Amino acid sequence: MAAAGDEYDPTPSEHELEAHLQTRNMVVNLGPSHPATHGTVRLRIELDGETIVKMDTEIGFLHRGFQKSCESVTWTQVLPYTDRLDYVAALQNNFGYLSAVETLMGIDIPERAKYIRVIGAELHRIASHLTTAGALALELGGFSAFLYAMEARELITDRVTELTGARLTTSYGRIGGLNRDLPDGWKEKVMKSIVKIEEVAAEMDTLLSRNRIFTDRTKGTGVITADDALDFGFTGPALRACGVSYDVRKAQPYWAYDKLDFTVPTGNNGDNFDRYYMRMLEIPESLKMIKQCFAQMPEGPVMIDDWRIALPPKENVYNSIEGVIAHFKLVMEGVPVPDGEVYHCTESPNGELGWYLRSDGSGRPYKCHVRAPGYQILSGLGRLCEGRMLADLVPTFDTINMIGGEVEQ
Amino acid sequence: MRLGVVFVSLGLIFGGFFALMGGAYALGGVVEDFGRTHGVSGLASLTNILILMLMIVMVFATLLTLAERKWSAFMQDRVGPNRARFPGLPNASLAGIPHIVTDVFKMLTKEAFRPKNASKVLFALGPMLAFAPVFALFAVVPAGPTLKIFDHPVMMVSTNLDFGLLYLFAIASLAVYGTSLAGWASNNKFALLGGVRASSQMISYEVALGLSLVGMMIAFSTVKLAGPDGMSEMQMQYLWSTRVGSFDLGLPAWGIFIQPLGFLLFFAAAFAETKRAPFDSPEGESEIVGYFLEYSGMQFGMFMIAEFVEVVVLGGVIVAIFFGGWSLPFGNEWLMNLAVMKQYPILLGAIYGTVFWGKTLLLVYLQMVIRWTMPRFRYDQIQKLGWQILLPVGLANLFVSGALILWDPSLRALALFGFFVIGVFAFLTLTPPKQVRQEQEAADDHHGGHGHAAPAPHDDHAALPASTH
Repeated sequence: MAAAGDEYDPTPSEHELEAHLQTRNMVVNLGPSHPATHGTVRLRIELDGETIVKMDTEIGFLHRGFQKSCESVTWTQVLPYTDRLDYVAALQNNFGYLSAVETLMGIDIPERAKYIRVIGAELHRIASHLTTAGALALELGGFSAFLYAMEARELITDRVTELTGARLTTSYGRIGGLNRDLPDGWKEKVMKSIVKIEEVAAEMDTLLSRNRIFTDRTKGTGVITADDALDFGFTGPALRACGVSYDVRKAQPYWAYDKLDFTVPTGNNGDNFDRYYMRMLEIPESLKMIKQCFAQMPEGPVMIDDWRIALPPKENVYNSIEGVIAHFKLVMEGVPVPDGEVYHCTESPNGELGWYLRSDGSGRPYKCHVRAPGYQILSGLGRLCEGRMLADLVPTFDTINMIGGEVEQ
Repeated sequence: MRLGVVFVSLGLIFGGFFALMGGAYALGGVVEDFGRTHGVSGLASLTNILILMLMIVMVFATLLTLAERKWSAFMQDRVGPNRARFPGLPNASLAGIPHIVTDVFKMLTKEAFRPKNASKVLFALGPMLAFAPVFALFAVVPAGPTLKIFDHPVMMVSTNLDFGLLYLFAIASLAVYGTSLAGWASNNKFALLGGVRASSQMISYEVALGLSLVGMMIAFSTVKLAGPDGMSEMQMQYLWSTRVGSFDLGLPAWGIFIQPLGFLLFFAAAFAETKRAPFDSPEGESEIVGYFLEYSGMQFGMFMIAEFVEVVVLGGVIVAIFFGGWSLPFGNEWLMNLAVMKQYPILLGAIYGTVFWGKTLLLVYLQMVIRWTMPRFRYDQIQKLGWQILLPVGLANLFVSGALILWDPSLRALALFGFFVIGVFAFLTLTPPKQVRQEQEAADDHHGGHGHAAPAPHDDHAALPASTH
């Protein structure tokens, strides 16, 4: 035996003589088309056995040239493009964009329109959260819970169809308010749907939140600290799961959120379970908000009374010269947005949905950039998964809820 | 309407069992008679292979392909498969039954694709090796009593081996070759991962699987399954009994009563062997797609049907070992001594055969409900469950059972212990888990605060596996 401190012991140790097997890490491509990657994204994973050594996220398979498309249409015509960003919660994008343009123009929309925007946005927040929680169950093999979630989401989709005329690509709302008021009897239908959604959410909660296998799979996996999450630019439930209570609805209230009574749940572990549970806790809050909105909502117009921004009523277009001119200018030139730039953000289901808009006063956007919450969160996926097992990647990928449409634009 | 369909199909199923088992006994008797007149005995085994294994198990498994989809649809508020039609009946979905036929045709007519660099022989061998062992498992499971038909004893089992249970273990462990070969030979990384997961899982659970049955082996001091001295028939004996007239009433020595812990362990371990949810990480369709990723057409169909055969066979094996085989819980003596039964033993055989398949059906249903309720374990959690929970609990069960059998060979002490275990499980199931209690306390403490109380520590594994099932 060599004495301590003897560095020149010529006898090689057993460890040095051992013939190690030459091993290589295995590289697998998850995606771009893989059952677990909803949306098209390629995950290049280096595996040591079942453990992820290194992970590269590659996006770009769903790039549609959103920004460039926006530059060649009028401000109003951008609206249908925004449907396709976060297609699970299209109303959130519609209203977020409209809100940003209105801020840039410095106009205020009628009170009733603000409440309807909150109702629509919260309905789609619930739809998005139900989809995420259900899909998480699906990824973990619990198919039934997923279909329960879809059942509730279908109710929301039906209500949204009645409101906007489309299931997914809503294109609802216009600059200066909304293009149409609530349909007759819609409020009662929504209130009835809320009862059903509450039931389904409670059922999912009992099926998943206290299911031993589910909690074992989600707790302690995909962990990120609050500091790291802030560095990556996480927002929304993914950030709140780490214990940072940041919600745009509370931080800088917009629409009618300052008049509503709601709490923003925060977690403390920053793991998959907390990200999932934040969403499950936000569903009742959103339902509560919708009920409050219906109670507080005033009667009145839903569109600003300014023919430079809102389309004039049809009888004026046909019967008065002012109406014809206003209609012509709005359709041909678009809404007159003054020269300037703005950053405006709303709280979408996945986090801060920000719009950086630049106008040169020509009637068309000079630049339209979206800060999609999923983009920043997806960039942190490698941090969440490296050193973890391959099987943990799937629930992690789900709880960050990457939406291909908004990440790649 | 839906309930009516359920009742009609249940009636059809039980009627089918009754007719098939009666036919099996009659055919067995005729063939045995023919063989004995020519100096060969035991020919009835051949008809048993034909009817029990090829007809009942195979048809059962085929029907399950539809039943699983229909049942999962029922659990998930869907309609389920109803598109396929029989020619001539364009407007009748017939509860989806045509799908059985169309599925088979779809499988048969699809191209059997083989990746370019896959190993030819092993790739072709994989599905066969996966299918054959699970099918052969059923050979030692008795589906009915031994009866004298045309003056010759006819056993309702394909082969009555003295080492019945050992045969089960041996053949069950062969199934791992099919899956690991399929994963390896496909020349696909995902399939390889699936094959590795499958083999590690199946090999580690064999230990728990074997251990969980040792208690039953000591209790009846046999490893034989069929026959009057086999485990299945010995469970007919009463632990406690009374008589009401000629009708005998009592508590039989079924495995579930004397070895409830053994049953749970065996069920969990066998579930892992069948690779169905929650133990389906080798398939894990949302992660790695599975070891059969590269298979198509009927080669994939072999894997799929092997899984369904496994479900049926597992049900049958559990019935034979833990649920008294083909016997009724009570009244067996009374039934056997009825004049009409003595006169027509085929009738008795058909009744008992139906009882056996009815119990199997119940267990198949149980497996299906579990499969559609539970999320999937992670690969390392499966190993942890197998080695750190099932194995020690199995060992403890073995020692306690052994001591109790030594102390009281009439098995009554063992049954009392079994009731105690069942009571503990019932208590654990009925009381809310720790997390719920904490949340309730938290809700009582501060109403309307931030909803998310501190989650319970992650490593609070309960000592008993029941909490995970």
